[in-house]
Amino acid sequence: MAVIEINNLSFAYEKESVLENINLTVEPLDFLAIIGPNGGGKSTLLKLILGLLKPTKGTVRVFGEPPSKQLPHIGYVPQNTNVNTDFPIKVIEVVLIGHVGGKKPLFGYGKDEVSCAMGALKQVGMEAYANARIGDLSGGQRQRVMIARALCAHPKILILDEPTSSIDIQGQKEIYALLKTLNKTMTVIVVSHDISVILEYANKAAHVNKRLAFHDISDKRQTFHTHGNQDHFCEVELLQMLGAENCEACTNDQTNAVWKDKP
Amino acid sequence: MIEALHFAFVQHALIAGVLVSLAAGIIGSLIVVNRMVFLAGGIAHASYGGIGMAVFFGLPIFLGASVFAMLAALLVATLTLHKRHHLDTFIGLIWAVGMAIGVVFTDLTPGYNVDLMSYLFGSILAVSTSDLYFMGALLALIVLVVVFWYRPILAVSYDNEYAKLRGIPVRFFYTLILVLSALTVVIAIKVVGLILVIAMLTIPVYIAEKLSSSLWQMMLYSGAFATLFTLIGLWFSYTYNLTSGASIILVSATGLGLFLIARRGR
Repeated sequence: MAVIEINNLSFAYEKESVLENINLTVEPLDFLAIIGPNGGGKSTLLKLILGLLKPTKGTVRVFGEPPSKQLPHIGYVPQNTNVNTDFPIKVIEVVLIGHVGGKKPLFGYGKDEVSCAMGALKQVGMEAYANARIGDLSGGQRQRVMIARALCAHPKILILDEPTSSIDIQGQKEIYALLKTLNKTMTVIVVSHDISVILEYANKAAHVNKRLAFHDISDKRQTFHTHGNQDHFCEVELLQMLGAENCEACTNDQTNAVWKDKP
Repeated sequence: MIEALHFAFVQHALIAGVLVSLAAGIIGSLIVVNRMVFLAGGIAHASYGGIGMAVFFGLPIFLGASVFAMLAALLVATLTLHKRHHLDTFIGLIWAVGMAIGVVFTDLTPGYNVDLMSYLFGSILAVSTSDLYFMGALLALIVLVVVFWYRPILAVSYDNEYAKLRGIPVRFFYTLILVLSALTVVIAIKVVGLILVIAMLTIPVYIAEKLSSSLWQMMLYSGAFATLFTLIGLWFSYTYNLTSGASIILVSATGLGLFLIARRGR
């Protein structure tokens, strides 16, 4: 069964149309990259998948059901993990917020819950910081903790919104390496601006700018020859990959328009 | 000072000071981490409307103020959901209209010359036994709620969007925090008065936040600092015949100043 199935979905805030006629199918163990310009509707699409917003038209199905029914199976890592850093909360407590299911004790945290949270922290390599205050961590470390919080629920899908914005290059690489490992056991969906990096890891890409253009890029290394460096695509190649080809939403003229927001 | 402890009104003042300080420490922590300080200010001032109406209709002051403050809290909770972009305007409105209602009703009360100052700046030396019961019951309720629902309250306070995704009824807890804030404000009116209540809800909390690595620790420290400041403030108030609320707030502010200097020194 498809992990996520979106059919003829449209969404508008009040009267302003944000997404139109979106169709998307995510298969088990896909690594889907959602890319596109700011204001193109990427985060809105994520919120629709999470059921935080209701579609104006069309349907979103997660494992064949409305998203609200499947929330325990969705791990979510929100954007802006640098807000609220003054909050007096320990890393382990942040991760425990993500725990679902099981009997909760009347007071405090159960032993199984704590060991589950520690396991999640171990997965992201942050177990040494369990008792640190969240505000004392670096941006990259905090991002890992947020991933651990999502993992604490043992999700089948992991959804991340701009996980590497405001993180240094080294931190970004580590996050993506971690996602690659996690992808062995769960479906991963990442919204990102760092297209050249993300395409090294993703097997599917969806370009969202009001409409959605879908690309299977699992065979990208055969299809596209790179400029010298095998691990890196230059922007021109990416543009060719994602813009001109099998993109029903846009003609060649609009290809440039789609990308003009990009620096 | 020791012989003063034999007076019932001094004993009442001290007990009230401690009860209110502990409640303010716990609820103040929630108000600060949820960024509701301005909201709490609006509710505090609006509760004066309840005081005015209670005086006019001859009802117990605490009852009038509590009901009115809770209604203001529910109104604020609704506005937060539906009028997010103009929230500050509406809070300002509730703030002023509540006070205006209170003033008009006390004006209309025949032959009653209510001591407005005592509600605005506190009148801790006139705490009755029933006031103490009310304060004690509210503190017990707050402790019970916070202990029993610590995890959802923590989740909602830290990241309400994520809490929503984990199926926690965010609106319920948000409203609950506002209603408990309203009730805390009402009992704090006796001790520091409604103008100064915000300082009591924030100064000890600010110091505690810097020293704590978890929310419950912050609540404990806030309660301890608030109690300390209140008792020292009451001593000044008694010894030099000063208004209790103002003394407590100035002691708190001095405490904050010393804390900031000590921290900078390190």
